[in-house]
Amino acid sequence: MTTPSLASLHGNRACAAGAIAAGCRFFAGYPITPSSEIAEQMSRELPRAEGVFIQMEDEISSLAAVIGASLGGVKAMTATSGPGFSLMQENLGYAAMTEVPCVIVNVMRGGPSTGMPTRPSQSDIMQARWGTHGDHPVIVVAPASVQEIYDETIRAFNLAEEFRTPVIVLYDEVIAHLLESVVLPQRDTVPTMTRKWASGEETTFLPYAATEDGVPIMARPGDGHRVHVTGLTHTPDGFPTQRPDLAAKATQRLLDKIEFNRDRIERNETFDIEDADVVIVAIGIVARAARRAVQELRSAGLRAGLFRPVTLWPFPEDALREAAAKATCVLVPEMNAGQLALEVERVVGPGKVARLNRIDGEPIAPADIVRRVREIAA
Amino acid sequence: MTVHAHRAEIRLAGSGGQGLITGMHILFRALAIEGRRAAQSQSYEPTSRGGFCYSDLIVSDDSGDYPLATGLGMVAALSQIGLDRSLALIKPGALLIVDERLVPEPPRSGFDLHVLPMAARAVEVGSPRIANVVALGALAHLGRLVPREVLEQAVRLETPPKFAELNLAAVREGWGLVGANVQV
Repeated sequence: MTTPSLASLHGNRACAAGAIAAGCRFFAGYPITPSSEIAEQMSRELPRAEGVFIQMEDEISSLAAVIGASLGGVKAMTATSGPGFSLMQENLGYAAMTEVPCVIVNVMRGGPSTGMPTRPSQSDIMQARWGTHGDHPVIVVAPASVQEIYDETIRAFNLAEEFRTPVIVLYDEVIAHLLESVVLPQRDTVPTMTRKWASGEETTFLPYAATEDGVPIMARPGDGHRVHVTGLTHTPDGFPTQRPDLAAKATQRLLDKIEFNRDRIERNETFDIEDADVVIVAIGIVARAARRAVQELRSAGLRAGLFRPVTLWPFPEDALREAAAKATCVLVPEMNAGQLALEVERVVGPGKVARLNRIDGEPIAPADIVRRVREIAA
Repeated sequence: MTVHAHRAEIRLAGSGGQGLITGMHILFRALAIEGRRAAQSQSYEPTSRGGFCYSDLIVSDDSGDYPLATGLGMVAALSQIGLDRSLALIKPGALLIVDERLVPEPPRSGFDLHVLPMAARAVEVGSPRIANVVALGALAHLGRLVPREVLEQAVRLETPPKFAELNLAAVREGWGLVGANVQV
């Protein structure tokens, strides 16, 4: 009989623990505040789990090594913060294009550039979606508690494997350095997924052929299946093409494999949303503040509710549209100058959306949100 | 307010290097033994050799609750700057324990103030570095947070075995500073 155990865990260590539980056995990274404890923990845990930890010379090579390891058949990850995430963008696009499963953790800090290393921020919301060039699919999950860092890191690996795509785990410095009560499942009860492996005739194998759900089957190294991996736009055989019809088809399949599988990827949480006049949309620590604000506003007779995207990209737009349908106002508090608000405005219409932004390196407090909602209601 | 309320906000305030985070880890562990959920946070800056530092514990049965301080109900301060920089967040009437030497200017009114010789007793027990654990003993006793034996159990679990006896002596010293009239 296996029972979950109650423990207290540090946010970044929960990420490392989740990665190990998900089956990650390779980490390459360049430690950076406020993500360093992930690398620290992986450097201890991976050798014990017969995995490999490498500290690389920078973040460009870190993600390159992760891609190599994953192509070699191992679940692999890296962890960084804004400045390192910027350096990873080229290889992030390469991983998306070559359909290499991998997990990239970005613990956000104040920016731009080296910014405020120890201060919390949410200013990489758009970089996570659009940081690399070209039309590319991406999955981003945004946990809001230590428990969820653990759970969503596991889910990130599963999504990466299921859809052969890079998955970004995006959270802020506050929950990264929180020690919080968590319930951890027994390791052998964690549901894990592994990419589809090729079988059958080796010479006729097409490494980028579409399957029913759009996700190609991967060749296991050493099995003898022919593969060719390139960042150039390629046909199902893996070789470059510039034929317009084939190029369009290749890029479209890349986008469709995420778009058509939204129901397997999207996740959101709502709180007191049913009769809400003001719907607050927030992620990470700000969502925790918003939840508290909703409770305070409700006890003062103001009908507020919370919509929290757990999967940030693809953005859970249908769910938000439904949640906000009856609301008179949608408030988007975020620790940046306005990024999530842009997407919310696209989904529910700009006329309905109000903003609350902090760019001073301080977390948005429940009182900030209560004040803003009262302003709106007045 | 006691920790039996829906939500309790507790702070160790002082300066970098005083062991404020370790102190809260001990209290977190003690509360966990009692089956309580909590979240612990701290100042995150290069202040390990002085300057304002704090360590907060938010005890709440609501697992999705806001994990940072919004109105502190219990504070133990081991430096003047630690107290001064925390004042804006302390609720009126809050339990406030300050060191008699390290906090020369405590607020004159508005709080349930206790001025205790925590740093001096730490030196008497064996080391100035265990003032954090003396403060924790006093805080746990005055705040009626956990029974003494649970706190001692947590001290054993959260501190290096080599220093277990020293830390246990410190926590008992802090507990005893408060007097025998507090019902837990």
